[in-house]
Amino acid sequence: MSIDYKKELESAAKSMILVHEPDILIKMIARMMVQKVKVIHTGILLHDEQKNTYILRVSRGSVGTRVPQEFARMDYNNPLISFFRERKDKEILGNGLIVYSEVKQLLRKRIHPQAEKILNAVLYQMDMLGAVVCIPSYFREDLLGILFLGRKVSGRDFKRRELDFFVALASDVAMAIRNATLFKQLQDELAKRQELFLNTTISLSAAIEAKDRYTQGHTTRVTNLCLEIGKRLISKRDIRLDSNFLEHLHIAALLHDIGKIGVPENILNKKGILDEEEWQKMKQHPTIGSNILHSIKELASAIEGVKHHHERYDGKGYPEGLDDDKIPIIAAIIAVADAFDAMTSDRPYRNAKSKKEAISEIKQESGKQFHPRVVSAFLQLCQEGKI
Amino acid sequence: MQKLLIVDDELDVQEFAANFFRKRKFEVVTAGGGQQALELLEKERPSLILLDIKMNGMDGIETLAHIRERAKEIPVVMVTGKKPEEDESCKRCTDLGISGYIHKPLQLDELERIVLSLLTK
Repeated sequence: MSIDYKKELESAAKSMILVHEPDILIKMIARMMVQKVKVIHTGILLHDEQKNTYILRVSRGSVGTRVPQEFARMDYNNPLISFFRERKDKEILGNGLIVYSEVKQLLRKRIHPQAEKILNAVLYQMDMLGAVVCIPSYFREDLLGILFLGRKVSGRDFKRRELDFFVALASDVAMAIRNATLFKQLQDELAKRQELFLNTTISLSAAIEAKDRYTQGHTTRVTNLCLEIGKRLISKRDIRLDSNFLEHLHIAALLHDIGKIGVPENILNKKGILDEEEWQKMKQHPTIGSNILHSIKELASAIEGVKHHHERYDGKGYPEGLDDDKIPIIAAIIAVADAFDAMTSDRPYRNAKSKKEAISEIKQESGKQFHPRVVSAFLQLCQEGKI
Repeated sequence: MQKLLIVDDELDVQEFAANFFRKRKFEVVTAGGGQQALELLEKERPSLILLDIKMNGMDGIETLAHIRERAKEIPVVMVTGKKPEEDESCKRCTDLGISGYIHKPLQLDELERIVLSLLTK
């Protein structure tokens, strides 16, 4: 007689190894055990690495016999857990699982007193769970969990090939859990690195402000405004934007003035209008910035944003005199945010304009100095009182 | 035969715990809430009460307060969701005269041990 549920479980297990949600697989196995294998109840204890214990995460079967989910745990010193963790199953039983009735039979024979003691303690634990079979799930030598089964509704014993199949299934479950854990760790690691990178970028941008004392707070304000405009452009969907557009915009905005590190301090902090020579040096900061960053290949579009944030839509900007859509969108956004913040801040050689004046100047410069689509997103934000 | 009163608003827990202790030769009565527990306290005169701290309606602490008005000596074990040292409300239980704690997820052998040790005191 073939095992009719075998195919179904097998293919499910195989496909689950590829997804990152072992919970679904585990719950499905528990349900199948009850519906197809027709056990009175079943449960799965899973390793909880944070709490250093094994917790009953999944439980199915009739009320009263099944152990309520999340109700029970077994610590490392629990005889059943240590039996599997220390691979006593191999040593004493040799078959990678515990069948209650087989152990009972074994105990009737003469065995080593130490083994007898261990097995009695294990059976006691199985009694408490109402389990007649326990199947461990390992990844390498780590015990990830234990599947336990109650009696069959029919009262019959489990067939050997059923048990063999459960053992194979348990190893698939282990793979699924292991893959999911690794995937989660990888995601966490990536998120951590991204945060580290962003914090490094923020520190770097603070370095510019330390040098150029008239622009303190400027970078943060420009960055915030850029992100608002960027989000608005995404929601308007009238420009094609890369998937990591916002991330690159964030970095470019933070670093747009990084090139000022290469501009002499007496020019940066001069209390008056710059002469031609000084002005030429000042105008180099976008190029210096992009040169500083150019080795970071992953940031190509952010670097473009830094390099071109002083270009003008009509082509009269610097360093390359790009016009229209040849100006990278990130640079066009920074241009508007940068100009708005500069106009509304005091400078040693002039007083700040009011917000209203600055907004109207930006509106006037739409299609001249600034990209019309960026200006339109900016004006929308102004109308909504977000600026 | 020793008689246990199990108080929990989850039927799943009530029934499992009842079977668990019946297999261990206890007589067991169950209550789904504080009010019913107080009625059974009078009627059944249990030798120990297992009480869930978090229940809808009358919670475990309030139930304990009422139990203590009526029966000072009966051992009551509180089943909590956190370790007693991490649970603020456990201080109130101690003031009310709780006999023991066990926190979920619990170890079944520990549950058995606590109940047995309180009954042989």
